[in-house]
Amino acid sequence: MAASTKKQIPCRDGLWSIPSSLDEKPQLIGSKCPNCGEVFFPVNSVCVNCQSQAMNDIKLSRRGKVYSVSTVMLPPPQWYKGPVPFDLGYVELPDGVMIWTRLMGSGAGSFRIDQEVELDIDVMQVDDEGNEILGYCFVPVKS
Amino acid sequence: MRQVAIAGVGLVKFGRYDGQKGRPYREIYELGAEAIKKALDYASMEWKDIQVAYGASMFGGLGVPNQCTSRLGMPGIPITTLEGACSSSQQSLRQAYLDVANGLYDVALAFGAEKIPPGLIADTLSPVWMLMMGFNLPAMYAIDTRRYMQESGITEEDMARVAVMERKNGIRNPNAFWYQGAEITIEEVLGSREIATPIRFLMACANADGASAAVVCSMDKLKSKSRAVTVVASSHATSTFGYDNLGIRVHEKVNLNCTELACKQVWETSGYGPEDMEVIQLYEAMSPSFLWDAEHCGFCKPGEVGKLLREGHFEIGGKLPANTDGGLMGRGHPTGATGLAQLIELFLQLRGEAGERQVPNAKIAFAHCSGGGPNGVCHVLKR
Repeated sequence: MAASTKKQIPCRDGLWSIPSSLDEKPQLIGSKCPNCGEVFFPVNSVCVNCQSQAMNDIKLSRRGKVYSVSTVMLPPPQWYKGPVPFDLGYVELPDGVMIWTRLMGSGAGSFRIDQEVELDIDVMQVDDEGNEILGYCFVPVKS
Repeated sequence: MRQVAIAGVGLVKFGRYDGQKGRPYREIYELGAEAIKKALDYASMEWKDIQVAYGASMFGGLGVPNQCTSRLGMPGIPITTLEGACSSSQQSLRQAYLDVANGLYDVALAFGAEKIPPGLIADTLSPVWMLMMGFNLPAMYAIDTRRYMQESGITEEDMARVAVMERKNGIRNPNAFWYQGAEITIEEVLGSREIATPIRFLMACANADGASAAVVCSMDKLKSKSRAVTVVASSHATSTFGYDNLGIRVHEKVNLNCTELACKQVWETSGYGPEDMEVIQLYEAMSPSFLWDAEHCGFCKPGEVGKLLREGHFEIGGKLPANTDGGLMGRGHPTGATGLAQLIELFLQLRGEAGERQVPNAKIAFAHCSGGGPNGVCHVLKR
Protein backbone atom coordinates (compact mmCIF):
# COMPACT_ATOMS: atom_id res chain seq x y z
CA MET A 1 0.00 0.00 0.00
CA ALA A 2 1.52 3.29 -1.05
CA ALA A 3 2.00 5.93 1.66
CA SER A 4 -0.26 8.90 1.08
CA THR A 5 -1.33 12.12 2.75
CA LYS A 6 -4.83 11.82 1.35
CA LYS A 7 -7.58 10.43 3.48
CA GLN A 8 -8.13 6.73 2.96
CA ILE A 9 -11.67 5.42 3.30
CA PRO A 10 -12.62 1.73 3.17
CA CYS A 11 -15.38 1.02 0.65
CA ARG A 12 -17.17 -0.54 3.60
CA ASP A 13 -16.18 -0.96 7.24
CA GLY A 14 -15.83 -4.46 8.60
CA LEU A 15 -14.91 -6.31 5.42
CA TRP A 16 -11.35 -6.89 6.61
CA SER A 17 -9.45 -6.78 9.92
CA ILE A 18 -7.24 -3.80 10.75
CA PRO A 19 -3.76 -5.00 11.83
CA SER A 20 -2.83 -3.98 15.37
CA SER A 21 0.91 -4.38 14.78
CA LEU A 22 3.41 -4.25 11.92
CA ASP A 23 3.79 -8.06 12.01
CA GLU A 24 0.12 -8.56 11.41
CA LYS A 25 -1.57 -8.50 8.02
CA PRO A 26 -5.21 -7.74 7.25
CA GLN A 27 -7.62 -10.63 6.80
CA LEU A 28 -11.11 -10.75 5.38
CA ILE A 29 -13.76 -11.24 8.05
CA GLY A 30 -16.40 -13.86 7.41
CA SER A 31 -19.00 -15.80 9.37
CA LYS A 32 -18.86 -19.45 10.33
CA CYS A 33 -21.92 -21.43 11.27
CA PRO A 34 -21.35 -23.48 14.44
CA ASN A 35 -24.20 -25.78 13.45
CA CYS A 36 -23.33 -26.87 9.88
CA GLY A 37 -19.83 -25.46 9.56
CA GLU A 38 -20.49 -23.37 6.46
CA VAL A 39 -18.41 -20.21 5.98
CA PHE A 40 -19.65 -16.97 4.43
CA PHE A 41 -18.21 -13.67 3.26
CA PRO A 42 -19.03 -10.95 4.06
CA VAL A 43 -20.38 -11.36 7.60
CA ASN A 44 -23.98 -12.58 7.77
CA SER A 45 -26.07 -12.96 10.92
CA VAL A 46 -27.98 -15.99 9.61
CA CYS A 47 -26.58 -19.19 8.09
CA VAL A 48 -27.91 -19.25 4.54
CA ASN A 49 -27.46 -23.02 4.48
CA CYS A 50 -29.15 -24.16 7.75
CA GLN A 51 -30.71 -20.91 9.05
CA SER A 52 -28.84 -21.05 12.36
CA GLN A 53 -28.60 -17.60 13.93
CA ALA A 54 -25.62 -18.34 16.16
CA MET A 55 -22.99 -17.22 13.67
CA ASN A 56 -19.38 -16.59 14.67
CA ASP A 57 -17.04 -14.08 13.05
CA ILE A 58 -13.85 -15.65 11.71
CA LYS A 59 -10.76 -14.30 10.01
CA LEU A 60 -10.41 -15.98 6.62
CA SER A 61 -7.26 -17.45 5.09
CA ARG A 62 -5.14 -14.91 3.28
CA ARG A 63 -4.18 -17.27 0.47
CA GLY A 64 -6.33 -18.93 -2.13
CA LYS A 65 -6.59 -19.95 -5.77
CA VAL A 66 -8.16 -18.07 -8.67
CA TYR A 67 -11.44 -19.81 -9.54
CA SER A 68 -12.11 -17.58 -12.53
CA VAL A 69 -11.15 -14.16 -13.81
CA SER A 70 -12.17 -11.55 -16.37
CA THR A 71 -10.52 -8.35 -17.53
CA VAL A 72 -13.01 -5.48 -17.53
CA MET A 73 -12.43 -3.39 -20.67
CA LEU A 74 -15.29 -0.88 -20.44
CA PRO A 75 -15.84 1.44 -17.47
CA PRO A 76 -18.73 0.19 -15.30
CA PRO A 77 -21.85 2.41 -15.53
CA GLN A 78 -21.85 3.89 -12.03
CA TRP A 79 -19.94 4.22 -8.75
CA TYR A 80 -16.57 3.16 -10.14
CA LYS A 81 -14.33 5.93 -11.41
CA GLY A 82 -10.97 4.13 -11.20
CA PRO A 83 -8.68 2.99 -14.00
CA VAL A 84 -9.77 0.59 -16.75
CA PRO A 85 -8.91 -2.15 -17.71
CA PHE A 86 -8.87 -4.07 -14.44
CA ASP A 87 -9.34 -7.67 -13.35
CA LEU A 88 -12.27 -9.12 -11.44
CA GLY A 89 -12.68 -12.71 -10.37
CA TYR A 90 -13.50 -15.26 -7.75
CA VAL A 91 -10.88 -16.68 -5.41
CA GLU A 92 -11.42 -19.99 -3.67
CA LEU A 93 -10.16 -20.05 -0.09
CA PRO A 94 -9.25 -23.19 1.87
CA ASP A 95 -11.90 -22.16 4.43
CA GLY A 96 -14.52 -23.43 1.94
CA VAL A 97 -15.74 -20.07 0.70
CA MET A 98 -15.48 -18.31 -2.63
CA ILE A 99 -14.62 -14.61 -2.60
CA TRP A 100 -15.70 -12.16 -5.28
CA THR A 101 -12.70 -9.86 -5.65
CA ARG A 102 -10.47 -7.49 -7.57
CA LEU A 103 -7.23 -9.10 -8.80
CA MET A 104 -4.31 -6.67 -8.72
CA GLY A 105 -0.55 -6.39 -8.38
CA SER A 106 0.13 -7.71 -11.86
CA GLY A 107 -0.86 -6.43 -15.29
CA ALA A 108 -4.54 -6.60 -16.21
CA GLY A 109 -5.18 -9.79 -18.14
CA SER A 110 -2.28 -11.70 -16.57
CA PHE A 111 -4.19 -13.86 -14.06
CA ARG A 112 -4.91 -17.51 -14.72
CA ILE A 113 -7.40 -19.98 -13.28
CA ASP A 114 -5.85 -21.93 -10.35
CA GLN A 115 -3.13 -19.31 -9.85
CA GLU A 116 -2.11 -18.88 -6.18
CA VAL A 117 -2.96 -15.45 -4.85
CA GLU A 118 -2.98 -13.66 -1.51
CA LEU A 119 -4.99 -10.89 0.08
CA ASP A 120 -4.00 -7.24 -0.08
CA ILE A 121 -5.75 -3.93 0.60
CA ASP A 122 -5.37 -1.32 -2.11
CA VAL A 123 -6.83 1.84 -3.60
CA MET A 124 -9.81 1.09 -5.83
CA GLN A 125 -10.47 4.67 -6.93
CA VAL A 126 -10.18 8.28 -5.84
CA ASP A 127 -13.43 10.06 -5.01
CA ASP A 128 -14.43 13.61 -6.03
CA GLU A 129 -12.85 15.07 -2.85
CA GLY A 130 -9.54 13.34 -3.56
CA ASN A 131 -9.98 10.64 -0.91
CA GLU A 132 -8.66 7.20 -1.72
CA ILE A 133 -11.34 4.51 -1.60
CA LEU A 134 -9.84 1.30 -0.27
CA GLY A 135 -11.00 -2.17 -1.14
CA TYR A 136 -9.63 -5.67 -0.86
CA CYS A 137 -7.94 -7.52 -3.66
CA PHE A 138 -5.89 -10.61 -4.28
CA VAL A 139 -2.40 -10.35 -5.73
CA PRO A 140 0.07 -12.94 -7.06
CA VAL A 141 1.91 -14.85 -4.31
CA LYS A 142 5.50 -13.67 -4.25
CA SER A 143 7.75 -16.73 -4.61
CA MET B 1 -56.40 -27.18 -12.23
CA ARG B 2 -58.26 -26.02 -15.33
CA GLN B 3 -56.84 -26.03 -18.81
CA VAL B 4 -55.63 -22.55 -19.80
CA ALA B 5 -55.31 -21.18 -23.33
CA ILE B 6 -53.43 -18.21 -24.70
CA ALA B 7 -56.19 -16.37 -26.54
CA GLY B 8 -54.21 -13.56 -28.09
CA VAL B 9 -50.83 -11.88 -28.17
CA GLY B 10 -49.48 -8.46 -29.04
CA LEU B 11 -46.03 -7.01 -29.54
CA VAL B 12 -44.71 -3.54 -30.17
CA LYS B 13 -41.66 -3.86 -32.41
CA PHE B 14 -38.53 -3.94 -30.31
CA GLY B 15 -36.45 -0.91 -31.18
CA ARG B 16 -35.71 2.57 -29.92
CA TYR B 17 -38.46 5.03 -29.09
CA ASP B 18 -36.21 7.74 -27.69
CA GLY B 19 -36.68 10.51 -30.28
CA GLN B 20 -32.94 10.46 -31.04
CA LYS B 21 -31.35 10.26 -34.50
CA GLY B 22 -34.70 10.56 -36.29
CA ARG B 23 -36.29 7.75 -34.28
CA PRO B 24 -39.84 8.23 -32.97
CA TYR B 25 -40.42 9.23 -29.37
CA ARG B 26 -43.01 7.18 -27.48
CA GLU B 27 -43.83 6.98 -23.79
CA ILE B 28 -43.57 3.60 -22.10
CA TYR B 29 -47.33 3.78 -21.38
CA GLU B 30 -48.09 4.10 -25.07
CA LEU B 31 -45.97 1.05 -25.84
CA GLY B 32 -47.69 -1.04 -23.17
CA ALA B 33 -51.18 0.06 -24.17
CA GLU B 34 -50.52 -0.72 -27.84
CA ALA B 35 -49.32 -4.25 -27.04
CA ILE B 36 -52.36 -4.88 -24.85
CA LYS B 37 -54.72 -3.59 -27.52
CA LYS B 38 -53.11 -5.87 -30.11
CA ALA B 39 -53.49 -8.87 -27.80
CA LEU B 40 -57.16 -8.07 -27.20
CA ASP B 41 -57.77 -7.67 -30.94
CA TYR B 42 -56.03 -10.97 -31.64
CA ALA B 43 -58.24 -12.67 -29.02
CA SER B 44 -61.37 -10.95 -30.37
CA MET B 45 -61.93 -9.61 -26.87
CA GLU B 46 -62.47 -6.20 -25.37
CA TRP B 47 -60.79 -4.47 -22.47
CA LYS B 48 -63.91 -5.02 -20.31
CA ASP B 49 -63.39 -8.80 -20.68
CA ILE B 50 -60.16 -8.63 -18.66
CA GLN B 51 -60.73 -9.57 -15.01
CA VAL B 52 -57.18 -9.35 -13.65
CA ALA B 53 -53.83 -8.12 -14.98
CA TYR B 54 -50.15 -8.60 -14.25
CA GLY B 55 -47.83 -6.02 -15.75
CA ALA B 56 -44.04 -5.99 -15.75
CA SER B 57 -41.41 -3.32 -16.03
CA MET B 58 -37.86 -3.14 -14.74
CA PHE B 59 -36.85 0.47 -15.43
CA GLY B 60 -40.22 2.19 -15.88
CA GLY B 61 -40.57 3.46 -12.32
CA LEU B 62 -43.73 3.70 -10.29
CA GLY B 63 -47.01 2.26 -11.48
CA VAL B 64 -46.12 1.58 -15.11
CA PRO B 65 -48.69 -1.23 -15.57
CA ASN B 66 -51.52 0.97 -14.26
CA GLN B 67 -50.43 3.80 -16.52
CA CYS B 68 -50.48 1.45 -19.52
CA THR B 69 -53.92 0.07 -18.77
CA SER B 70 -55.46 3.43 -17.82
CA ARG B 71 -55.01 4.40 -21.50
CA LEU B 72 -57.56 1.70 -22.29
CA GLY B 73 -60.06 2.03 -19.47
CA MET B 74 -60.36 2.10 -15.72
CA PRO B 75 -62.50 -0.84 -14.66
CA GLY B 76 -61.06 -1.10 -11.14
CA ILE B 77 -59.70 -4.62 -11.60
CA PRO B 78 -56.62 -5.80 -9.67
CA ILE B 79 -53.49 -4.84 -11.61
CA THR B 80 -50.27 -6.15 -10.10
CA THR B 81 -46.82 -4.84 -10.93
CA LEU B 82 -44.16 -7.52 -11.29
CA GLU B 83 -40.44 -6.94 -11.31
CA GLY B 84 -38.32 -10.06 -11.62
CA ALA B 85 -35.42 -8.55 -13.57
CA CYS B 86 -35.08 -9.99 -17.07
CA SER B 87 -37.79 -12.62 -16.55
CA SER B 88 -40.40 -10.12 -15.27
CA SER B 89 -43.02 -10.54 -17.98
CA GLN B 90 -42.69 -14.31 -18.17
CA GLN B 91 -43.55 -14.22 -14.47
CA SER B 92 -46.57 -12.05 -15.41
CA LEU B 93 -47.80 -14.73 -17.78
CA ARG B 94 -47.27 -17.36 -15.10
CA GLN B 95 -49.38 -15.42 -12.58
CA ALA B 96 -52.15 -14.85 -15.12
CA TYR B 97 -52.02 -18.56 -15.99
CA LEU B 98 -52.20 -19.61 -12.31
CA ASP B 99 -55.22 -17.39 -11.66
CA VAL B 100 -57.15 -18.93 -14.53
CA ALA B 101 -55.90 -22.47 -13.91
CA ASN B 102 -57.02 -22.22 -10.27
CA GLY B 103 -60.43 -20.89 -11.24
CA LEU B 104 -60.05 -17.47 -9.61
CA TYR B 105 -60.68 -15.68 -12.90
CA ASP B 106 -61.64 -16.74 -16.42
CA VAL B 107 -59.79 -14.10 -18.45
CA ALA B 108 -56.45 -12.59 -17.41
CA LEU B 109 -53.93 -10.27 -18.97
CA ALA B 110 -50.12 -10.45 -18.81
CA PHE B 111 -47.89 -7.76 -20.24
CA GLY B 112 -44.52 -6.10 -20.06
CA ALA B 113 -43.33 -2.66 -21.20
CA GLU B 114 -39.88 -1.15 -21.16
CA LYS B 115 -37.80 1.79 -22.17
CA ILE B 116 -34.23 1.26 -21.04
CA PRO B 117 -31.32 3.63 -20.80
CA PRO B 118 -28.59 3.28 -23.47
CA GLY B 119 -25.27 1.61 -22.72
CA LEU B 120 -24.43 -0.68 -19.82
CA ILE B 121 -27.38 -1.04 -17.49
CA ALA B 122 -27.02 0.46 -14.02
CA ASP B 123 -26.81 -2.23 -11.36
CA THR B 124 -29.36 -1.97 -8.56
CA LEU B 125 -28.83 -5.57 -7.51
CA SER B 126 -25.49 -5.29 -5.74
CA PRO B 127 -24.23 -3.50 -2.63
CA VAL B 128 -22.55 -0.13 -3.16
CA TRP B 129 -19.20 -1.32 -1.77
CA MET B 130 -18.98 -3.92 -4.54
CA LEU B 131 -19.91 -1.32 -7.16
CA MET B 132 -17.18 0.95 -5.75
CA MET B 133 -14.67 -1.88 -6.24
CA GLY B 134 -15.70 -2.17 -9.88
CA PHE B 135 -18.42 -4.82 -9.78
CA ASN B 136 -20.46 -4.89 -12.99
CA LEU B 137 -22.88 -7.35 -14.55
CA PRO B 138 -21.08 -8.03 -17.86
CA ALA B 139 -17.93 -8.89 -15.90
CA MET B 140 -19.86 -11.38 -13.80
CA TYR B 141 -21.10 -13.06 -16.97
CA ALA B 142 -17.52 -13.02 -18.20
CA ILE B 143 -16.12 -14.57 -15.02
CA ASP B 144 -18.72 -17.32 -15.24
CA THR B 145 -17.95 -17.79 -18.92
CA ARG B 146 -14.20 -18.13 -18.40
CA ARG B 147 -14.75 -20.92 -15.86
CA TYR B 148 -17.37 -22.58 -18.05
CA MET B 149 -14.94 -22.56 -20.99
CA GLN B 150 -12.29 -24.26 -18.86
CA GLU B 151 -14.68 -26.93 -17.63
CA SER B 152 -16.66 -27.61 -20.82
CA GLY B 153 -14.16 -27.00 -23.61
CA ILE B 154 -16.48 -24.35 -25.11
CA THR B 155 -14.63 -21.89 -27.34
CA GLU B 156 -15.10 -18.21 -28.17
CA GLU B 157 -16.07 -19.39 -31.65
CA ASP B 158 -18.96 -21.40 -30.19
CA MET B 159 -20.14 -18.28 -28.38
CA ALA B 160 -19.84 -16.27 -31.58
CA ARG B 161 -21.88 -18.85 -33.46
CA VAL B 162 -24.88 -18.20 -31.16
CA ALA B 163 -24.64 -14.46 -31.88
CA VAL B 164 -24.52 -15.09 -35.64
CA MET B 165 -27.50 -17.47 -35.53
CA GLU B 166 -29.68 -15.15 -33.45
CA ARG B 167 -29.07 -12.11 -35.62
CA LYS B 168 -29.82 -14.19 -38.69
CA ASN B 169 -33.18 -15.11 -37.12
CA GLY B 170 -33.86 -11.53 -36.02
CA ILE B 171 -33.46 -10.29 -39.58
CA ARG B 172 -36.54 -12.36 -40.49
CA ASN B 173 -38.70 -11.10 -37.62
CA PRO B 174 -40.67 -7.87 -38.30
CA ASN B 175 -40.93 -7.29 -34.53
CA ALA B 176 -37.18 -7.67 -33.91
CA PHE B 177 -34.62 -4.99 -33.21
CA TRP B 178 -32.42 -6.56 -35.89
CA TYR B 179 -35.23 -6.84 -38.50
CA GLN B 180 -33.86 -6.41 -42.02
CA GLY B 181 -30.42 -5.82 -40.53
CA ALA B 182 -27.23 -7.28 -41.92
CA GLU B 183 -26.03 -10.80 -41.22
CA ILE B 184 -22.84 -10.93 -39.22
CA THR B 185 -19.98 -13.42 -39.37
CA ILE B 186 -18.11 -15.31 -36.68
CA GLU B 187 -15.03 -13.25 -37.57
CA GLU B 188 -16.94 -10.01 -37.03
CA VAL B 189 -18.14 -11.18 -33.62
CA LEU B 190 -14.62 -12.23 -32.61
CA GLY B 191 -13.24 -8.93 -33.92
CA SER B 192 -15.77 -6.77 -32.08
CA ARG B 193 -14.78 -4.71 -29.06
CA GLU B 194 -14.16 -6.53 -25.79
CA ILE B 195 -16.54 -5.64 -22.94
CA ALA B 196 -15.08 -7.97 -20.32
CA THR B 197 -12.87 -10.83 -21.52
CA PRO B 198 -13.89 -13.15 -23.13
CA ILE B 199 -17.22 -11.35 -23.81
CA ARG B 200 -17.31 -9.06 -26.83
CA PHE B 201 -19.75 -6.41 -27.95
CA LEU B 202 -21.49 -8.61 -30.54
CA MET B 203 -21.94 -11.41 -27.96
CA ALA B 204 -24.17 -9.13 -25.87
CA CYS B 205 -27.92 -8.60 -26.14
CA ALA B 206 -29.24 -5.51 -27.89
CA ASN B 207 -30.72 -2.97 -25.47
CA ALA B 208 -34.14 -2.07 -26.83
CA ASP B 209 -37.49 -0.54 -25.95
CA GLY B 210 -40.70 -2.44 -26.55
CA ALA B 211 -43.78 -4.07 -25.13
CA SER B 212 -45.44 -7.48 -25.10
CA ALA B 213 -48.88 -8.66 -24.01
CA ALA B 214 -50.95 -11.83 -23.88
CA VAL B 215 -54.51 -12.64 -22.91
CA VAL B 216 -55.01 -16.03 -21.24
CA CYS B 217 -58.37 -17.62 -20.51
CA SER B 218 -60.27 -20.76 -19.67
CA MET B 219 -61.15 -22.92 -22.69
CA ASP B 220 -64.83 -21.91 -22.59
CA LYS B 221 -63.91 -18.25 -23.02
CA LEU B 222 -61.88 -18.80 -26.21
CA LYS B 223 -63.58 -17.11 -29.19
CA SER B 224 -62.06 -19.65 -31.56
CA LYS B 225 -60.81 -23.10 -30.63
CA SER B 226 -59.06 -23.62 -33.94
CA ARG B 227 -55.34 -24.29 -33.37
CA ALA B 228 -55.74 -23.28 -29.71
CA VAL B 229 -52.47 -22.98 -27.82
CA THR B 230 -52.55 -24.10 -24.19
CA VAL B 231 -50.14 -23.64 -21.32
CA VAL B 232 -49.17 -27.19 -20.37
CA ALA B 233 -46.94 -26.31 -17.42
CA SER B 234 -45.32 -23.35 -15.75
CA SER B 235 -42.54 -23.18 -13.19
CA HIS B 236 -40.60 -20.56 -11.29
CA ALA B 237 -37.56 -21.22 -9.11
CA THR B 238 -35.20 -18.92 -7.28
CA SER B 239 -31.73 -19.04 -5.85
CA THR B 240 -30.49 -22.15 -4.11
CA PHE B 241 -27.62 -22.25 -1.64
CA GLY B 242 -24.22 -22.23 -3.31
CA TYR B 243 -24.85 -19.63 -6.02
CA ASP B 244 -24.35 -15.87 -5.99
CA ASN B 245 -27.03 -13.36 -6.96
CA LEU B 246 -26.36 -13.90 -10.66
CA GLY B 247 -26.47 -17.65 -10.33
CA ILE B 248 -22.72 -18.24 -10.44
CA ARG B 249 -21.70 -21.29 -8.44
CA VAL B 250 -19.66 -20.00 -5.54
CA HIS B 251 -19.60 -23.06 -3.34
CA GLU B 252 -18.40 -26.60 -3.77
CA LYS B 253 -21.75 -27.87 -2.48
CA VAL B 254 -23.73 -28.91 -5.53
CA ASN B 255 -27.41 -27.98 -5.56
CA LEU B 256 -29.48 -27.55 -8.68
CA ASN B 257 -29.27 -23.93 -9.81
CA CYS B 258 -32.50 -21.99 -10.34
CA THR B 259 -32.64 -22.85 -14.05
CA GLU B 260 -32.13 -26.56 -13.41
CA LEU B 261 -34.70 -26.46 -10.61
CA ALA B 262 -37.31 -24.65 -12.74
CA CYS B 263 -36.71 -27.12 -15.57
CA LYS B 264 -37.00 -30.14 -13.30
CA GLN B 265 -40.37 -28.82 -12.13
CA VAL B 266 -41.67 -27.99 -15.59
CA TRP B 267 -40.68 -31.38 -17.00
CA GLU B 268 -42.24 -33.20 -14.03
CA THR B 269 -45.52 -31.28 -14.10
CA SER B 270 -45.87 -31.27 -17.90
CA GLY B 271 -45.26 -34.98 -18.34
CA TYR B 272 -42.93 -34.12 -21.23
CA GLY B 273 -39.17 -34.05 -21.50
CA PRO B 274 -36.65 -32.03 -23.48
CA GLU B 275 -36.64 -34.71 -26.17
CA ASP B 276 -40.31 -34.00 -26.94
CA MET B 277 -39.84 -30.30 -27.74
CA GLU B 278 -40.01 -29.05 -31.33
CA VAL B 279 -39.12 -25.38 -30.93
CA ILE B 280 -37.56 -23.67 -27.91
CA GLN B 281 -36.56 -20.36 -26.38
CA LEU B 282 -33.44 -20.07 -24.23
CA TYR B 283 -32.43 -16.99 -22.29
CA GLU B 284 -29.13 -15.38 -23.29
CA ALA B 285 -28.40 -11.79 -22.33
CA MET B 286 -24.85 -12.77 -23.31
CA SER B 287 -24.27 -15.52 -25.88
CA PRO B 288 -22.44 -17.96 -23.55
CA SER B 289 -25.59 -18.33 -21.43
CA PHE B 290 -27.35 -19.89 -24.42
CA LEU B 291 -24.72 -22.64 -24.21
CA TRP B 292 -25.00 -23.42 -20.53
CA ASP B 293 -28.79 -23.01 -20.53
CA ALA B 294 -29.03 -25.59 -23.32
CA GLU B 295 -27.26 -27.97 -20.91
CA HIS B 296 -29.09 -26.93 -17.76
CA CYS B 297 -32.49 -27.24 -19.46
CA GLY B 298 -31.63 -30.76 -20.63
CA PHE B 299 -31.35 -30.17 -24.39
CA CYS B 300 -27.86 -31.63 -24.58
CA LYS B 301 -25.29 -33.45 -22.52
CA PRO B 302 -22.55 -31.42 -20.80
CA GLY B 303 -19.85 -30.52 -23.32
CA GLU B 304 -22.01 -31.41 -26.32
CA VAL B 305 -23.49 -27.99 -27.14
CA GLY B 306 -20.55 -26.69 -29.21
CA LYS B 307 -20.76 -29.66 -31.55
CA LEU B 308 -24.55 -29.26 -31.88
CA LEU B 309 -24.15 -25.60 -32.78
CA ARG B 310 -21.58 -26.43 -35.45
CA GLU B 311 -24.05 -28.95 -36.91
CA GLY B 312 -26.80 -26.30 -37.10
CA HIS B 313 -28.90 -28.19 -34.52
CA PHE B 314 -30.52 -25.00 -33.12
CA GLU B 315 -31.01 -23.18 -36.43
CA ILE B 316 -34.37 -22.81 -38.17
CA GLY B 317 -34.30 -25.97 -40.27
CA GLY B 318 -32.18 -27.79 -37.68
CA LYS B 319 -33.32 -30.56 -35.34
CA LEU B 320 -34.37 -28.24 -32.51
CA PRO B 321 -34.80 -24.63 -33.63
CA ALA B 322 -34.09 -22.17 -30.81
CA ASN B 323 -34.72 -18.44 -30.43
CA THR B 324 -36.31 -18.37 -33.86
CA ASP B 325 -37.34 -14.73 -33.39
CA GLY B 326 -33.75 -13.66 -32.84
CA GLY B 327 -33.50 -14.16 -29.10
CA LEU B 328 -32.15 -11.39 -26.90
CA MET B 329 -29.40 -10.58 -29.39
CA GLY B 330 -31.51 -10.45 -32.56
CA ARG B 331 -34.98 -9.63 -31.21
CA GLY B 332 -33.53 -7.24 -28.66
CA HIS B 333 -33.88 -7.08 -24.89
CA PRO B 334 -36.37 -4.59 -23.43
CA THR B 335 -35.90 -6.29 -20.06
CA GLY B 336 -39.46 -6.10 -18.70
CA ALA B 337 -41.00 -7.13 -22.04
CA THR B 338 -38.58 -9.93 -22.94
CA GLY B 339 -39.86 -13.00 -21.09
CA LEU B 340 -43.34 -12.72 -22.55
CA ALA B 341 -41.98 -11.98 -26.03
CA GLN B 342 -40.28 -15.40 -25.84
CA LEU B 343 -43.66 -17.04 -25.22
CA ILE B 344 -45.30 -14.97 -27.97
CA GLU B 345 -42.80 -16.33 -30.50
CA LEU B 346 -43.60 -19.88 -29.40
CA PHE B 347 -47.33 -19.11 -29.64
CA LEU B 348 -46.89 -17.86 -33.22
CA GLN B 349 -44.79 -20.92 -34.09
CA LEU B 350 -47.45 -23.27 -32.70
CA ARG B 351 -50.19 -21.38 -34.55
CA GLY B 352 -48.23 -21.58 -37.81
CA GLU B 353 -48.01 -17.79 -38.01
CA ALA B 354 -44.26 -17.27 -37.77
CA GLY B 355 -43.82 -16.39 -41.44
CA GLU B 356 -40.29 -16.85 -42.77
CA ARG B 357 -39.21 -18.21 -39.41
CA GLN B 358 -41.85 -20.94 -39.26
CA VAL B 359 -40.78 -24.34 -37.95
CA PRO B 360 -42.96 -26.72 -39.99
CA ASN B 361 -45.88 -28.17 -38.03
CA ALA B 362 -44.49 -27.38 -34.57
CA LYS B 363 -46.93 -28.62 -31.92
CA ILE B 364 -45.06 -28.35 -28.64
CA ALA B 365 -42.64 -25.78 -27.36
CA PHE B 366 -40.53 -24.75 -24.36
CA ALA B 367 -39.31 -21.43 -23.00
CA HIS B 368 -36.76 -20.60 -20.34
CA CYS B 369 -36.09 -17.14 -18.97
CA SER B 370 -33.71 -16.00 -16.24
CA GLY B 371 -33.40 -12.91 -14.16
CA GLY B 372 -31.01 -11.52 -11.61
CA GLY B 373 -31.73 -12.54 -8.07
CA PRO B 374 -31.37 -15.12 -9.53
CA ASN B 375 -34.57 -16.67 -10.81
CA GLY B 376 -35.55 -19.09 -13.52
CA VAL B 377 -38.96 -19.32 -15.18
CA CYS B 378 -40.03 -22.06 -17.61
CA HIS B 379 -43.13 -22.81 -19.66
CA VAL B 380 -44.28 -25.61 -21.92
CA LEU B 381 -46.87 -24.62 -24.53
CA LYS B 382 -48.79 -26.95 -26.81
CA ARG B 383 -51.15 -26.73 -29.74
